[in-house]
Amino acid sequence: MTSLDIDPSEILVRYNVQMEKAMSPEDAAAELYPTDELYRPIAEAIFEGEEDDVIEGLEAAIDAGKNPIALIDDALMVGMKVVTDLYDQGIIFLPNVMMSADAMLDGIEFCKDQSDEAPVSKGKVVCHVAEGDVHDIGKTIVAALLRANGYEVVDLGRDVPVDEVIEAVKAENPIMLTGTALMTTTMYAFKAVNDRLLEAGIKVPFACGGGAVNQDFVTTYELGVYGEEAADAPKIADQIVAGAALDALKEEFHKH
Amino acid sequence: MAINRYTKMAYGSADDMIFGKSKFPVKAGLDLEIGGGYTSPEVNYAPRPEAGASKEKLVKEYQRITTDIMNRMVQVGFPSVVLETEHVEQMTNNPTWGGEVAHAQKEIMEEFHDEYGIKCALRHTPGDIREDRDFLELRGDKFNTLMESFEEVASNGADLLSIETMGGKEVFDYAILRNDVPGMLYAIGCLGTMDMDFIWQEIASVAKKNNVVAAGDTDCSEANTAMFIAGGLLDKNLAHTLAIIARAISAPRSLAAYEAGALGPGKDCGYENTIVKSITGMPMTQEGKTSTCAHSDVMGNLVMQCCDLWSNESVEYHAEFGGTSVQCWSESLGYDCALMNTALATGQEKTLRDLMVLSDKYRDPQGYVLAYDNAYRVGEAIVKDGNDIYLRAKNAALKSIEIMEEGAAGKLELTRFEKGALADAKEALSALTDDQDTFMSDCMAKYKEEVKVFLPENYGL
Repeated sequence: MTSLDIDPSEILVRYNVQMEKAMSPEDAAAELYPTDELYRPIAEAIFEGEEDDVIEGLEAAIDAGKNPIALIDDALMVGMKVVTDLYDQGIIFLPNVMMSADAMLDGIEFCKDQSDEAPVSKGKVVCHVAEGDVHDIGKTIVAALLRANGYEVVDLGRDVPVDEVIEAVKAENPIMLTGTALMTTTMYAFKAVNDRLLEAGIKVPFACGGGAVNQDFVTTYELGVYGEEAADAPKIADQIVAGAALDALKEEFHKH
Repeated sequence: MAINRYTKMAYGSADDMIFGKSKFPVKAGLDLEIGGGYTSPEVNYAPRPEAGASKEKLVKEYQRITTDIMNRMVQVGFPSVVLETEHVEQMTNNPTWGGEVAHAQKEIMEEFHDEYGIKCALRHTPGDIREDRDFLELRGDKFNTLMESFEEVASNGADLLSIETMGGKEVFDYAILRNDVPGMLYAIGCLGTMDMDFIWQEIASVAKKNNVVAAGDTDCSEANTAMFIAGGLLDKNLAHTLAIIARAISAPRSLAAYEAGALGPGKDCGYENTIVKSITGMPMTQEGKTSTCAHSDVMGNLVMQCCDLWSNESVEYHAEFGGTSVQCWSESLGYDCALMNTALATGQEKTLRDLMVLSDKYRDPQGYVLAYDNAYRVGEAIVKDGNDIYLRAKNAALKSIEIMEEGAAGKLELTRFEKGALADAKEALSALTDDQDTFMSDCMAKYKEEVKVFLPENYGL
């Protein structure tokens, strides 16, 4: 290599190094865990993404007399909130959330198996990738983040025909529909979905994002709410549950 | 075509590598020589969405795009250009559509060449349509349609054939979201390379039959997915140290195209191309600061270091203040190339190369590993076990980790998270067997269980 070299601080700033929180993720999580000695190991196992430990913790709690369905809210969702809060604060990364969400979902299935009762979610969301588009990693992230935040997700998969999206919305009556697309040539399906929903008199918020999708395009159809990043999806859902109408959602999430 | 693995480097040292020159230049199209001592712009574009409504509309759109670019090149006085048409899915799924577009474009380029003598070539990149709604379908009817598309464009005017293959993506998408480095290794290094071996022998045969150039592939579907998810400095979706490990593993995957008969120039979005060039000596296209119309990255100048063609990645065709979008971006590319070519003509090329590298080398671990001196070392790690597709990918990953550790001991600043991800990756890789069969067998069992859409038959397994 050349004998040339430089002091890089003259030409770049490592803002991520400057901004890094002093506290380690483990220390930050420790401050947020529930204090109950039955719930805490479950929350810790969720944070660590250890499915087996989650089940072990749930078994111990059930043996101690806890209601399996109540454990979903009291332990699993509490543990997951530690994860999503730390992600929102920039203290942990997306893969940690994905692994924790996997562990939480295993835990929820276990709790359901242990009871005849059905759990109540914060709301139902239908997710899909636009017709003609097979790129689904964005949708996978959106679905995981929604589940991690307590929403029931109906995942229609990728390359979903418009008809199928409409039928699913009619059948499931979700609080929100999400659509992701990588390519400009496929995102036009979102307009068709919008028009068909309006024809049917369904005014469900339709959160759209991904690859080539931009806010300008999403604002061209009435139900569209633009999500700049996957993490916006649960935030939009939370606003809907809190009673926000379409105009309010656009006001908050249309940033450009 | 046979597979000929690389077991040694094309260049004797990293310092021998430079932009505009490659060990094995490629003659293509209308008097163009790629890697023969000068750089050229490679302009990439996408039609407006509504143009995909019919074949006639699409052909018309590409005629406009081609005319605009060729006109601007001549108006501003640039001596050479390559046009890349990345297919919209309608063009690959209907092979004659792609053929008609290639023919229409080439006619226009020939007119400009005849009138002005501008050196030019046309690259066509059919889309990898080998999948259905639920699964990748790498072999079978869709593969046959894809090869028909290559045949149509090659016989109707395309000079360079490329693709961005999807092999390994189903396992990769699962692994990258779970910090699963062995899974990334299996997906990119093993499954991806096996798919490349399969498809590139066929593409090279089509190219040979039509007397055009099999130009190369990119691990866009995996390494660029990692880079995109990693994002900028403040994004928290993926440690940048993991993104560059994925990139290092992608180099032996992209190398497989050349082992099956490709000659270059490699595809623009293959940020691994500096590593590949160090091994093959073949010309490469790269993209960086002049592709911000398509995406952001953290190595905009550095990646220009050893390019033979300089690309804008892709821009939708529409109006800008300065003309149409393709005119604006092709002009920017042309000026970048003029600077590099001036450096070559005045003997200042290594100084310019090193200034470009130094302006980004410490910006991020991705740029640090891809700086040509370090990229060359990754290349050496690959060819050391060049006949073993597993070991060479593992070597590439471990070498990139070693390079980052050295960097972190000096001027490369890493966050605690990046360092943690790096240490975890090193631990996971170090625990792996050196035996390909054992690794493949273990991964087959694990990912068949965990990734429901993984079909081993796609890879002949």
